[in-house]
Amino acid sequence: MSIWGAIAGGFAGTLVLTTALRAGNELNLTRMDLPFLLGTAFTSDRTRAKALGYVLHFLVGLGFALVYYAVFLAIGSSGWWLGAIFGLVHGLFSGTALVDTLLPLIHPRMGTRSTAAPSVALLEPPGFLMRNYGAQTPLVSLAAHIAYGTLVGGFVSLAG
Amino acid sequence: MRTGGYAAIRDYAAIGDGRAVALVAADGAIDWLCTPDLDSPSVFAALLDADRGGSFELCPTEPFRVERRYLPGTNILETTFHTDGGAVRVVDAMTLAGPGLSPFRELARRIEGLAGHVSLRWHIEPRFGYAGATTRIERRLGIPVASSGASALAVQCWNADESVAGQGAIGGSIDLSAGESALIALSIAHQEPLVFSSREQVEERIEASARAWAEWSSGRNYDGPWADAVIRSALALKLLVHAPSGAVAAAATTSLPEDVGGERNWDYRFCWVRDSAFTLGAFLGLGCAADARAYFWWLMQASQLTHPRLHVLYRLDGGARAPERTLPLSGYRDSRPVRIGNGAATQLQLDTYGELLQTAWLYAGSGQRIDDDIARRLAEMADLVCRIWRDPDAGIWEVRSEPRHFTQSKMMCWVALDRALDLARRGLIPDRHAQRWAREAQSIQEFVETRCFSGQKRSYTRAAESEELDASLLLGVLLSYGDPGSDRWAGTIEAVRRELGNGPLVRRYTGDDGLAGPEGAFLTCSFWLAEALARSGRVEYAARLMDQLVALGNDVGLYAEEIEPASGAFLGNFPQGLSHLALINAALAIAEATRQ
Repeated sequence: MSIWGAIAGGFAGTLVLTTALRAGNELNLTRMDLPFLLGTAFTSDRTRAKALGYVLHFLVGLGFALVYYAVFLAIGSSGWWLGAIFGLVHGLFSGTALVDTLLPLIHPRMGTRSTAAPSVALLEPPGFLMRNYGAQTPLVSLAAHIAYGTLVGGFVSLAG
Repeated sequence: MRTGGYAAIRDYAAIGDGRAVALVAADGAIDWLCTPDLDSPSVFAALLDADRGGSFELCPTEPFRVERRYLPGTNILETTFHTDGGAVRVVDAMTLAGPGLSPFRELARRIEGLAGHVSLRWHIEPRFGYAGATTRIERRLGIPVASSGASALAVQCWNADESVAGQGAIGGSIDLSAGESALIALSIAHQEPLVFSSREQVEERIEASARAWAEWSSGRNYDGPWADAVIRSALALKLLVHAPSGAVAAAATTSLPEDVGGERNWDYRFCWVRDSAFTLGAFLGLGCAADARAYFWWLMQASQLTHPRLHVLYRLDGGARAPERTLPLSGYRDSRPVRIGNGAATQLQLDTYGELLQTAWLYAGSGQRIDDDIARRLAEMADLVCRIWRDPDAGIWEVRSEPRHFTQSKMMCWVALDRALDLARRGLIPDRHAQRWAREAQSIQEFVETRCFSGQKRSYTRAAESEELDASLLLGVLLSYGDPGSDRWAGTIEAVRRELGNGPLVRRYTGDDGLAGPEGAFLTCSFWLAEALARSGRVEYAARLMDQLVALGNDVGLYAEEIEPASGAFLGNFPQGLSHLALINAALAIAEATRQ
């Protein structure tokens, strides 16, 4: 196992994940737009938010790859299938705790379950498994995260 | 005011934001809105199916009388309802994005109490995907949200009762006394989360949008006659400009019938090459240099896909495919089929080459630069015209009958070669084949003068060896085919007026077009007649005709494609870019002729 494999896998995995989510938009399956959600935490300018969001999303993708790598090291095993399982867990975690619960708490422009009549522009919260962004969103998100995990796991094992 | 649930086409006004256009009926209902762009699937399409299409109704609960206008110099509509109990004003705007986080698209309706007390009801039925997609209504942060696939619409209201009704609808009531106001805003998202706004933010965007439109229209440099109609037409045209690309849609709607109850129903939410010379001429004539530049570059970019051949039309995103299919909607007053896409896209229409070369010629004449690649492509198009002008085609009216040798098509091929020769003489396009262009232009002229002129009618005819007439022949005068003061043109103008005219109105043609049923008078042809009269020296007659035509606009100055001469009812898609372009160009020509 090699950390460079994790970084390469994180890069490739994030590329595939981002592309899959964008394809989900174009196929009319979901309104989820992670770069937009991330970027608007820092700026209210749409264009800047999307550009910044893509950069942040890639950095987060690399960060998660390093977390995967640490767990692979801890259990002494890695591989495509193990990566896919990690991706599934990662996708479930993202759709529940991370984006549904934590992100609205720290995002200055996102409503929470306790928000009522807004005094400033607020982004629609994602809801459980991000289903607010479309009923098919959980499937798209899980498929994209499984692809991400598979690539990270595979690259780590190949680099070993 | 409605027949079978349908408002008269004349009763609509258009609002938009450079991406989407909504049609607001005189009774306050928004019956047409496609998002995110005007060529996207609809969310409100009661215009094409009163029962299933979806709409946003807003009107007093008691009988009312209506006055409407656009806020001066803007595309923001003001509708005033007068009832026995008082009066309210509704300001409708598709807001323009401002600083800060604003919705992807926003339709705002501000209701202001003017006098007494008025109760209103509002009712929204969002029906995504031309009413064919499943629409789910839920609440987010207490706000009703309708969603379907990657599209969603949130309904925010202030000082208005609101509830989610059965059958996928959201609605409520508003009670206003003088000095009070309410606000309903639709926040629309596509492929991203919704953005919810505060009332202050929506109000500020309405004001900012009004300022932006007024600033744009104050920059138009027209001080000739019919100035109000010209500026309104420019604003209508601006609604049809697809802001990201500069493409100009022919109209904001699909399938509004040219014959109520008939089959002449087409999707006009595309950019026609046919309209290009008129569009560029109008932009340049009104001082819209930026719009002219964007449009020309978009046109050359889009046509690159099919070079050297031209498609009849291109999508607003520049794509060349526009497959035609029908929708299971009942159609405006049972006018079926309802079509999306346009089967004319791949027809051969020889006139398009003349109109594109004329566009390039106007563009170069305005001092803009034509780069080497485009210059080479323009020359190659002229070469193509030399090869194909002898072919029969579908003509400017894209008839669905057998191809013919339409006279106007041949004249426009002559225009293509004449403009190419002029550009080559000025060193703006390669001149290697200029001698061939000159020879072929001469051959085209011989063909037209010997085979496309009727001695009996003393007029050019619709097609070779025919006695039919066609108002598009007037484009020969407008685009300088021959001497506009010649006997042949005087006879043709007179024949068009005599045989196709009905008062100030002009029908397109006599003869078969492969479709059943009649159609109304074609407004564009009426304005072309006015312009042809002015260019051939009959300026006073042209001005009188123009006075009559300007009076035929609806209460807010908009035109459809056609008018039914007997009733004055609008027919065809709305608002129609070509009608407004023809109005602008006729006014410019008459003003110019008057000055001379």
